[in-house]
Amino acid sequence: MTDYLRETHHEFEAASATALADPNLQRILGQLNDTLGRRNRDAWAALPNSDLMREKARAIKDETLAELDKHLETLERSVLGRGGHVHWAVDGAEACRIIVELIQRRGATKVVKSKSMTSEEIHLNHALEHAGIEAVETDLGEYIIQLAGHRPSHIVAPAIHLSAGEIATILSKPAGERLPAEREVLAGFARRALRQKFAEAEVGISGANFAIAETGSIVLVTNEGNGRLTCALPPCHIAVMGVEKVIPRLADLPHFLKVLARGATGQKLSIYTQIITGPRQPDELDGPEEFHLVILDNGRSRILGTPLRESLFCIRCGACLNVCPIYRSVGGHAYGGVYAGPIGAVLTPLYDGLAANHHLPHASSLCGACQAACPVKIQIPDLLIKLREQLHDEPEQRSRLEDLAYGLWARMLRSPRLYRWSTWLATRTIGRWKRKSPWIKRLPAKLSGWTKSRDFPAPAPERFRDWWRKEGGNG
Amino acid sequence: MVSREGFLATVRQAAQQGRSYRVHLRPVPDEIGYLGAEGDLCERFAAEVNAVGGEAFVVADLETAGRQLHSLLAEAGAQSAVCWKHEVLDRLGLAELLAAPGVARWDYDALAGLPAEQRLQRLLACEVGITSCDWAIAETGTLVMCSRPGQERLASLIAPMHIAIVERQQIVPDLIDVIRMLGADKLPSNVTLITGPSKTGDIELQLTTGVHGPGKWRVIVVNER
Repeated sequence: MTDYLRETHHEFEAASATALADPNLQRILGQLNDTLGRRNRDAWAALPNSDLMREKARAIKDETLAELDKHLETLERSVLGRGGHVHWAVDGAEACRIIVELIQRRGATKVVKSKSMTSEEIHLNHALEHAGIEAVETDLGEYIIQLAGHRPSHIVAPAIHLSAGEIATILSKPAGERLPAEREVLAGFARRALRQKFAEAEVGISGANFAIAETGSIVLVTNEGNGRLTCALPPCHIAVMGVEKVIPRLADLPHFLKVLARGATGQKLSIYTQIITGPRQPDELDGPEEFHLVILDNGRSRILGTPLRESLFCIRCGACLNVCPIYRSVGGHAYGGVYAGPIGAVLTPLYDGLAANHHLPHASSLCGACQAACPVKIQIPDLLIKLREQLHDEPEQRSRLEDLAYGLWARMLRSPRLYRWSTWLATRTIGRWKRKSPWIKRLPAKLSGWTKSRDFPAPAPERFRDWWRKEGGNG
Repeated sequence: MVSREGFLATVRQAAQQGRSYRVHLRPVPDEIGYLGAEGDLCERFAAEVNAVGGEAFVVADLETAGRQLHSLLAEAGAQSAVCWKHEVLDRLGLAELLAAPGVARWDYDALAGLPAEQRLQRLLACEVGITSCDWAIAETGTLVMCSRPGQERLASLIAPMHIAIVERQQIVPDLIDVIRMLGADKLPSNVTLITGPSKTGDIELQLTTGVHGPGKWRVIVVNER
């Protein structure tokens, strides 16, 4: 399988240990649940029918994916009808090649980009740089990590792993002076520096939050305004989107807009939502003269026909990251892929190979906070369990010892007599020896994998059935 | 390289296979997302604008709106303004309101004749952008801006302060009303919903305003029936 999500594989456990030992990162991650996480919960609580509204968005995704090819064809027809162009890219390399060619055909060398996870997924910046094209990320967070040479660590807050002090150091280089670690000063510098880039840019590249088949529109949702400048100033606009972003009708859009911002930040709507339909019309003074839409597969069709199809419902709001106890401990880089957090633990193994990412489906306590926060109610814990099942069948992951242990366990649970005997034995032995502390700190041999990072609960000194009988219960 | 047909054939096959894994849901009616706004639309709209970090001024008539605009121009220290051409702004008498304090007015007519390079330099120098809107949404405090000659995208975007003048009859209760009125068959090349001043949370999750778009977002609501 191609490794298009990152440069080299790395170990979740080692990367987690590094993250846990970084006090700056821990301080910032520690705020997530009380800020974005709380705003998400408040938003669902304040919204009448929030459950049904999220179900509505979910139903539209489900319906659309069942006839995805038809909706893509309609989208193509509509984009062409409005004077735009459509390109099909099977994988990331092809998408990059198409985009580089479009830029070179215009003789352009200066590009501005608004934030796009899809462009991160295909490593577009790398390809542009290789072709001698200057591509500047204009989202503040993306601008910072591009200068630092980092990968994004959060779907909507890509520089969340950096403190204001670290950001000041990074921005001081292009500023040519020592900037203080004050947010307004740093944002002000970025505004001035990037205005210049916007003014010079010959091409603007964006992603797409949604694409509307019947109208040929793409929809871009942002808070900073860089997405608007990207689509207003350069004479050419190229948008890149995964196949799953299409929705059939304009009337479907509000159902998503109403839950997207609430999920991401607790806002009713994000600050700027653009519905872009083709290039500028005659006599308009701003907006691009040329519009291209690059539609990307990159492994999505491989997922579409499987039980993990629901992962394609994701609208990339980042809500599941903000509430996940694992993400809030280890941060985004530990996941290794472009997509982090609970949904990343599903997407990265699917796009990048299960065996190579075997830690990720296990990087979850299955507490369900992700599913509760999700604007389209993706059953992430179920998907993770499905991946764990598949992982069990991967030849590299097969363990005879594990098979044996679970085989015995299953036999015991199937026989009431054996089950009664085993619980009796456990309470009379370990249960009675461990009366002082109900936690086992270290298990022997292979089982020590469990107690390396957490305690194991010891059996009680008395079985429930014995206690029940003693209390005079019947049954 | 796979052809368009090959691409779509792969998707078609996968979509068909995927149908056995559809999530089974009870049907949800289309009206479910409609939230609307109870009470006075003007008051609600203004309250929402304030809630998202803008500043709303509810005034009784266009004359008071003009005085309000005048004091906002002073606050921005405006020398030049990029403006829409819009019927509400005409009735407001925008040309005279800007001429009196000597603020240069850059609207479609003034900009169209300039070469692109010069036009951009003029726009980048503006301290304020003055627009109306196509609709405003009471439930969310949103301005809906349709692009067309005279309604440039940059007018609400490029200057540090954006001032919008909104009349009572432009306000609708819900986003769904706007989508219905836009209609799928006649969309302008760009429709932008604006709900607040430009914001970012990219530095330590703390809100910082005015990173790319206007940090100051002022809405004058004319409550005249």
